[in-house]
Amino acid sequence: MSRRSGRHLFWIVCAGLCVAGFLASVLVGPVKTTPGDLWRFIQQPDRVQDAIFIDLRLARAVLAFLVGAALALSGAILQGYFRNPMADPFVVGVSSAASLGAVVASAVGFEVAAFGFSGPGLLAFLSGLGIVSLVYALSVRRGGFKVETLLLTGIAAGALASALTSFLLFMRSDSYDQAVFWLLGSFQLAEWGQAASIAPWIVLCLLASLWLARDMDLLALGDETARSLGSPVGRVRKAFLAMSALLAALSVAVSGIIGFVGLVVPHWVRILIGPGHRSLFAASALAGGTFLVYCDLIARNILSAELPIGVITAAVGAPFFLYLLHKKR
Amino acid sequence: MRKPAILTGIILTAVILSGLPTSREAPIGTEAVPQTVVDDFGRPFPLPARTPERIVSMAPNITEILFALGLGDRVVGVTRFCDYPPATGAIRRIGGLVDPSLEVVRSLDPDLVVAFRGNPRRLVERMGKLGLPVFVCDTGEGLEALFPLIERIGRITRTEGRAAGLAADLRRRLDAVDAALKDIPARPKVFVLLHGQGLWTCGGESYADDLIARAGGTNVASFLPKKWALYKRERIIEDDPDVVFILARSPGDFAAGRDWLLRSAGMGGVAAVTSGRIHDLDENAASRFGPRLVDVLDHVARLLHPERFGGKG
Repeated sequence: MSRRSGRHLFWIVCAGLCVAGFLASVLVGPVKTTPGDLWRFIQQPDRVQDAIFIDLRLARAVLAFLVGAALALSGAILQGYFRNPMADPFVVGVSSAASLGAVVASAVGFEVAAFGFSGPGLLAFLSGLGIVSLVYALSVRRGGFKVETLLLTGIAAGALASALTSFLLFMRSDSYDQAVFWLLGSFQLAEWGQAASIAPWIVLCLLASLWLARDMDLLALGDETARSLGSPVGRVRKAFLAMSALLAALSVAVSGIIGFVGLVVPHWVRILIGPGHRSLFAASALAGGTFLVYCDLIARNILSAELPIGVITAAVGAPFFLYLLHKKR
Repeated sequence: MRKPAILTGIILTAVILSGLPTSREAPIGTEAVPQTVVDDFGRPFPLPARTPERIVSMAPNITEILFALGLGDRVVGVTRFCDYPPATGAIRRIGGLVDPSLEVVRSLDPDLVVAFRGNPRRLVERMGKLGLPVFVCDTGEGLEALFPLIERIGRITRTEGRAAGLAADLRRRLDAVDAALKDIPARPKVFVLLHGQGLWTCGGESYADDLIARAGGTNVASFLPKKWALYKRERIIEDDPDVVFILARSPGDFAAGRDWLLRSAGMGGVAAVTSGRIHDLDENAASRFGPRLVDVLDHVARLLHPERFGGKG
């Protein structure tokens, strides 16, 4: 099979899975509903069903899709940025810092809400962006910076943020439920307002990353080569770092920390359609969103209690990842 | 160069879009209601004209109070922890305290949802946005807070008369314990162990602390400004409690907790161990802020001061 037709197949399969995932998300839940119910509801809306189908299930699936797309895109950007397949939103410390901000907010009772975010959500976002700026500033040396320095600074800052989070949670034993949410992630309380507040930013980042994808391709050849080929390397790097931080912080702000999506989805996509960044970015967003829709479907239906979604992303993602990795070799 | 202008345009659009109001709030209070009460999260709640028909309880203690008010047949949803009274077994489960299924609650189409402080605020607010009539009750720090809690639940379920009757009954039994303990010469030192993940006990802000004081004892961990706290082993040895209560779910649980305590280094010299005053406290009743706390109080008072209750406790 040629690369081009393989790529077409990928898009068709992924889009089909995505639509099927949304349909299943709307139909399956603790309350029994059949396709017939949905059909009758579309013809003749009813108050309770409207809440279940639209306000709860669809809102949840849409939010899961957006967060999955954001995390996968963030991961794809960072892997290109660091020219390192180990990179993901956790590496630069954004996720840990964002959850620290959230836990601080709930500890001090920060209740200001803006742009559809709750107080903890807002602080999660601000501290996520704050730490990546700090990490960036710390790693800059005269005449640029080294990728390794930034990577290590990010890991250290992330570890510090995690330690502070654990400390705060330990001190406040009665905020346990909050802790579970911010450390393991959940879409239990998803609502349309959250989806609407993050969607424009995600679309913006996706468009900008597609627009700058050529420059990312050049970065893969090394900063010096990219510069000699006319790419404004410094500015491109700053833009990508800011975007990846924004995407990850947005995700943590609405759904807590969800691991593995940002690391694994770009790898799947790269194995399936190749390393060109323009299609890699777009495909990662679609595949990441679809993946998280299915993970959330499992998380809320497999047991009578809600499972933290991070458990599912790793449990489903890792074996599939290993399979693809070995098939390739 | 055109690109910065396009980018600025996209950013502006994103900012404007993300600020748009998008919540789909269902209208609350479609019929004219005479009064509004304020719940313990400070949210206004329209007082129903008559007793709600379909009530969802978000916590075990709330379920118990609803049943005690004779509303058991109107309770259509309870948490997976609600197991008292036994009649709750036949009621639809909505999930846990922090992870109830919103769609199950919504599908039950309740005309009243009673939540309590242990339910996360975000959850309560999400339910409000779904148009669910949620009323949140606080637990309070002492036994006396039971009375306003029962009164408030009586008020919103329009069973004020029964609530007053229940309160009067509990008051009478509390007074009986108070009378029996009048002018006790000494207050035994008490340590409460929540057996499980280490040495958890109840601090000064818990109602268990108040319950022990009311039962004529002194909680050795009373100085801790917390509801529940991890205690230090050497501190128990220093405190030298006269009585230890172990909150346990079953006799096996109690035995495991007692053995764990006895095995711990240095416990041999503690007064409660030498005198054998290590008692079981039914976790099911004692950990829920409901009417059965008065039974627990009576039980604890009899164990601490058997001489005041006609010999053996």
